[in-house]
Amino acid sequence: MTQSPSEGEAAASAPEEAEVHPLQEFADRVAAAVGGDAEIQFDTVKVKVPADQWVDAHQTARDDLDLVFFSWLSAIDWANEVEAGDPLSEEVDERFEVMSALSDLTDGNLVVMSTDLDKEEASLATLTSVYAGANWHEREAYEMFGIDFAGHPQLEHLYLPDSFAGNPLLKSYPLLSREVKPWPGTVDVEAMPEKDEPTTENPES
Amino acid sequence: MTTLDADTVRHLSEAQVSVELQTEDMTLNIGPQHPSTHGVLRLVARVNGEQAYDVKPVIGYMHRGYEKLSEVRTYPQITTIVNRIDWVSGYANEVPFIVAAEKLMEIEVPERAQYIRLILTEMARISSHLVFNASYPLELGAATPLFFALRERERILDLLESVTGGRFHPNFNRIGGVKPAYGSGSTTRKQVQDLPAGFLAETRNAMDQVAIAVDELENLVAGNEIILARTKGIGILPPEVAAAYGVSGPNLRASGVPFDLRKTQDYLPYDKFDFDVITGENGDCWDRWYVRLAEIRESAKLVQQAIDSIPSGPLQAKVPKVIKVPKGETYVRAENPKGEMGYYLVSDGGSGPYRLKIRSASFSNISMLPWILEGALVPDIIAIMGSLDFVLGDVDR
Amino acid sequence: MDAILDLFDNFWVSLGGKLLLVALMIPLIGMVIGFAEMKLSAKMQYRVGPYFAGGRWGWAQLIADGVKFFQKEDIIPTDADRPVFKAAPILVLVGTVALFVVIPFGPGLIFNDLDVGIFYALAISSLSTIGVLMAGWSSANKYSLMGGLRAAGQLIAYELPLVLAVVGSVILAGTMSMQGIVQAQIDAGYPYIVFQLVGFVIFMIAALAELTRIPFDMPIAESELVMGYVTEYSGFRFLFFFLAEFANMFTMSAIAVTLFLGGYWLPGVPQDVLEWAGPFILMGKVFLLVFAMIWFRWTFPRFREDQLQSLAWKILVPIAILNIIVTATLKVVF
Repeated sequence: MTQSPSEGEAAASAPEEAEVHPLQEFADRVAAAVGGDAEIQFDTVKVKVPADQWVDAHQTARDDLDLVFFSWLSAIDWANEVEAGDPLSEEVDERFEVMSALSDLTDGNLVVMSTDLDKEEASLATLTSVYAGANWHEREAYEMFGIDFAGHPQLEHLYLPDSFAGNPLLKSYPLLSREVKPWPGTVDVEAMPEKDEPTTENPES
Repeated sequence: MTTLDADTVRHLSEAQVSVELQTEDMTLNIGPQHPSTHGVLRLVARVNGEQAYDVKPVIGYMHRGYEKLSEVRTYPQITTIVNRIDWVSGYANEVPFIVAAEKLMEIEVPERAQYIRLILTEMARISSHLVFNASYPLELGAATPLFFALRERERILDLLESVTGGRFHPNFNRIGGVKPAYGSGSTTRKQVQDLPAGFLAETRNAMDQVAIAVDELENLVAGNEIILARTKGIGILPPEVAAAYGVSGPNLRASGVPFDLRKTQDYLPYDKFDFDVITGENGDCWDRWYVRLAEIRESAKLVQQAIDSIPSGPLQAKVPKVIKVPKGETYVRAENPKGEMGYYLVSDGGSGPYRLKIRSASFSNISMLPWILEGALVPDIIAIMGSLDFVLGDVDR
Repeated sequence: MDAILDLFDNFWVSLGGKLLLVALMIPLIGMVIGFAEMKLSAKMQYRVGPYFAGGRWGWAQLIADGVKFFQKEDIIPTDADRPVFKAAPILVLVGTVALFVVIPFGPGLIFNDLDVGIFYALAISSLSTIGVLMAGWSSANKYSLMGGLRAAGQLIAYELPLVLAVVGSVILAGTMSMQGIVQAQIDAGYPYIVFQLVGFVIFMIAALAELTRIPFDMPIAESELVMGYVTEYSGFRFLFFFLAEFANMFTMSAIAVTLFLGGYWLPGVPQDVLEWAGPFILMGKVFLLVFAMIWFRWTFPRFREDQLQSLAWKILVPIAILNIIVTATLKVVF
C-alpha cells in the first residue's frame, strides 16, 4: 500500500509509467529558465535552485516566465530527531528547505521553488524586492524557523509576541501540551472494530 | 520697550505663524477590539486629522499554531482543525486538504461524493459572500442590508446543518469521500447511507430564493448614491500590486484579472459545469463588493446544475481502516470564498503529516494593507478593510 | 377649578408648572420616538423588535432600558477632565429642553412666544454642539476626540444652511415669532412648503446633520470611531445623550412643521377646534417627519466627513441663498 516515490528523476514519472505528465513541459521550461532541477510529484512542480541564485531565479520567473502571482513562502525543517510528531522513516540530510510558490494568472500553473539551507547558518536573500508580498511570509518563516532573510526591511516577529523565545515550527521544539499530557486522540489511530459495509445503493439521484 | 523695526516684526509674525500651525500627528490604535476589524486585527496608524499614514497591521492575536498542531495529529483529526481556519466558510477549507491527502494515497473519489463536495463548497461560498454583503454596508453605516443577507444565509446554514450536522464546522469530509450519513431515499424505505431525503430538492428551492434575494440586495445597496460615493474610486488595487502581494480570489478578480482556480484546477469537477468568472474594472471597493455579489448568483447556478446532474453511487471509496498516507509531497490549491486556499502536504508514510503548510487567502490579502491604506482617510480605512473581506482565523491560522 | 387656574397667574407657579411639563414631556417623547424607532426598524428588517417587555408588543422595553441605565455603574475615565465630562451630557440635554420653549402647540399654547422665536431656536440648537465638543474633548479618548471634532466641524457647516433655509419662511411671514409664523400661514391659507419646498428640503437635510443621524452620523460612526464622543459614557450620562437625540428629533421636526407645514393648523379646521386639536395636529405632522428620519436612518449608509462638508458648502448653501433671493424678489414684486 505504501508506494513511496523515490527522490529525484524517477519521481517525475512514478505515478503513470511512460506517460508524459501534462505539466512536464511547463516544468522543463521553468527549470531551463531559472537554471534548476525540476521534479513533478503528484501534480506539483518543484524546481530546486541553489541558495545563491534564489533571488535571480525569482526575478527570472517573474519577468520571463510570467509567474507574477506570489502565493506563499515557507520552509520545512528536515530533522532526524524530532520532539513533536512522528520521526522520519529514514535518515535525511539535516537542512532547512525553503520553498516559495509562484503562479501565473492565466493557466493556473504553479511552481514551487525550493532551496536547501544549512541549519547552522540559515540565511537567504530576501525576495521583497521581487515580490512585495514576500514580506510577511519571510517574517513568518523567520520567527517559526529562525531563518534569516538578508536585506529584509522589517525582520521582526509577525504572529508571536516580541518576547517569545524559540522557533515553534522547528522539529526540535516540543509541543508543551503534549509533553504534559499525551493526546487522547491517539486512540483513534488504532484499528476500529469491523462493521458492516455501508450500503452503496442510492435511490435518490 | 523694544522698537518694532521691520526685522523684528517679521520674526514676530513668523513666530506667531509657526506656533499656530504647529500640529502633531496622533498615533491611533485601531483594534484589536474595534467594531470593524472583523475580530482581533490591530492597526497602528499615524493620523493627521482624518488622514492616516504608516499603517502597520499587527496580527497574531489569534494565532493557534495549526501548522504545528497538524504535525502531531492524524489525517482524519486534521480536518477538524482546518475547518476552523476560515470559519465563515468552514466547509470549503476541508476540501483542498482532503484532496491533497487523497492525491498522495491515489484514491479515486466516487463521483457522487465529488458532486456533494462541490455543492457544499458552493453553498459555503454563498454563505461567506452573504456575510460579506451583510457586514460591508454595515461598515458604511447602512444597517438594513445585514438582515436581508443574513436571512438568506440562515437558509444556507440550515441546509448545511441538515447534511453535515454543523453550521460552521461541518467536518464532513473523509479521506475517500464524504461522511456517510444515515438517511432514507425517496423511492425506498430501505436505510441507505446518503444525503438526507429531500435535501437536494430543498437546496434547489433555496438557490432560487437566494437568487431573488441577491437581486433585492443589489437593488437596496447598489441603487444608493451614498454607497456609490463611498466606494467608487476608493482603495484602488492595481492587478500588478495584487499579484505581487498574492492577493487572490474576488479581490484579485475585482482588479480585472479573470483568474479563478475553479477553472484551472481539478480538485472538484467544476469543468463539467457552466459558470462565469466575474471580474471588476477598476479594482476599487465598489468592484470588490460587486464581484462578491455577482458570484453568489454564479454559485447558485453551479449548485443547481450539480443537483440536476448528480450521479448516483457510493459516497466513499474503499479506504483502509487506518489511514496512512504514503511518502510524498503535493500542493493542492483551491478557490475558496476568500481566495486561494492551499495545503502543501509533506508525508513520510505515517499517520500524520511531516509538515503541513497552510496557505490561507486572507493572510496574503491583508498583507498589502500598509500599501493600500497609505494616506487614506479614517472612514476610507474602514471601507477598504471591509471590502477585502478577511477573517482573522484565516489570517492567523 | 377656577382657583387652580388663578394659581397659574402667579409667575412662579406657572413657571414651575411649565418646567414640570417639559420635564415630563422630554422623557415621554424620547420614549415614544425610541420605541417607534425600535419597532419601525424591526419592520424594515424582517424582525419583530421588542416583544416581551410589558407583555404586549414590548411596549415597556424603553422603560426597562431606562431603568437599566440608571442601575449601571457611572464610569468616568481616570484621565478624563471630570467637571467637563460630567457637564457635557447635561448641556446637551439643556439645549434640547430650551428648544421646547418656543414650539407653538396650539393657538396660545406655547411656553413662551418670543418675538425672535426662530432666532432663539436656531441659537439654542447650537448649544448642544458645545456639549458634544466638551464630551469629545474631556473623555481622554482619541476616538471621542475625533468624534467631537467631527461633530464641531459638521455642526458649524450645517448651521449655515439651516439658518438660510429658515429665512425664506421668515420673509414670507414677516415675523420671527413662532406663533406669528403659524398665524401668517393660517392667514395666507396655505402652508409655506408650497413656495418653500427648497427651503424645507434644505432644512430637513441640515436638521439631520444637526441631529448627527444617519446619513450624517460621522461623529458617532460606530464602525469607525467605536461610538464617537459617547464612547466613554455609561449609565445615566449615556442615557442623557440618548434622550437628547430623540427629544431633538422631536423639536427639530416641530420647528420644521411650524415653519413649513403650517404648525398646529390644518386647512379647513375652524379656529375653535384648533384650540384643543392643535397639539394633536402638530404631533401628527411631527411624527410624520420623525418617521421619515427613522426611515432614512435604516436605509442610508453614512457619508464621509469631506463629502458632507462639500455637500453643505458647495450645494446646500448656494441653493439656500438662491432660494432667499428668489423669495425676497417675489415678496417685493407681488
